[in-house]
Amino acid sequence: MAVDETSRTFVHPLYGWLEKIPGLSVGLTTADAVLSWGLEHSLWVFPMATSCCGIEFMATMTSRFDMDQFGTFTRPTPRQCDVMVVAGTITVKMAPRVKRLWDMMPEPRWCVAMGSCAISGDFYRNLYAVVPGVDTFIPVDVYVPGCPPAPDHVHAGMHVLMEKIRQVRKGTFRPNADPAAREGLLRPSIPRIGDPDRDPALSRAQAEAAFRMDPGCQVTPRSEDERDVP
Amino acid sequence: MPDDVLALFRTRLGLEEVPPEGPFVPPETLPDIVAALKEMGFLLFLYCAATHWPATENRPEAFTVAYGLRRPGPGSSTARLRVRIPADGSIPTLSGLFAGADWQEREQYDLVGIHFEGHPDLRRLMLPEDWEGHPLRKDYAIDTHHFPWR
Ligand code: SF4
Repeated sequence: MAVDETSRTFVHPLYGWLEKIPGLSVGLTTADAVLSWGLEHSLWVFPMATSCCGIEFMATMTSRFDMDQFGTFTRPTPRQCDVMVVAGTITVKMAPRVKRLWDMMPEPRWCVAMGSCAISGDFYRNLYAVVPGVDTFIPVDVYVPGCPPAPDHVHAGMHVLMEKIRQVRKGTFRPNADPAAREGLLRPSIPRIGDPDRDPALSRAQAEAAFRMDPGCQVTPRSEDERDVP
Repeated sequence: MPDDVLALFRTRLGLEEVPPEGPFVPPETLPDIVAALKEMGFLLFLYCAATHWPATENRPEAFTVAYGLRRPGPGSSTARLRVRIPADGSIPTLSGLFAGADWQEREQYDLVGIHFEGHPDLRRLMLPEDWEGHPLRKDYAIDTHHFPWR
């Protein structure tokens, strides 16, 4: 089994051999269609749920929203799963564990980043302990934006994933690998310390905000013109 | 705070006025005072929260640690006290008196870097074991790099 990590295509080693036998390709195409149909309609989900998006994901899996109708349901172990749904903020301490669970999942496998935190870190993006998006360490197939995404958005995301699997199996899938767009996604919104384009005024403002307080737990009142909010 | 606690603070610390957010207790008398409070029925260790005060031109770098204890039952009340230590100081641990203080002190060690003397197991609680620095100090930049993930 060989998997190309950049385009996420899945090639069975038997295929090359079997395709050489004359007349077998028709049968193989049919078998492949059946196999794809089976793959995309039995997506067992490993819920990598770490925070509030996890609660929404639990709601999505209840009978009210009924993901079972697509053959999608959760399993408690990565060994039995096809899809990892990363639902929630991933911290620096959690990231190696997520990576390890991802490595335990058998090929072929897919990853859905659910919620702004899993996509980009959201408003925790520039925090010391938060990873700015799970795609910095595992390949993500489908992004479901929202904070949190509603259950029907997760449904839509799973349908997009099914469509992607179908296209990848048919060989018609073309990933959008625009490097400029990718870099814009990965760059933090506030330049970090050591960044050449970090504004020195930002460091000064952060330091001043920290130094303005006194040990009596009293905040020195700021003058009118210093206030951020009028 | 209830009257018996105020009386205890006045006699033990020689204070006229006890501020409502708690008096400053010298670190070496902290275990005695907390043990006395426990005798008086303050059985619940509520919180232990440390703050970092960076050096300015008027004062050197310092830490304050605030403690809160609660007396459960009818008419329950809270006792609050604070400890101020210099940058290189340490505080005697309360984990011998209250088992619940163990992890709270580990958390304060992890995030602010307070050294609790005599603590049985002073390791990081929440951040990864190989983390450098204490992120809730005022001189820790919020966007410090942490490779390979940041
Ligand atoms: S995206 Fe919003 S709802 Fe989801 S984990 Fe982050 S903060 Fe919570």
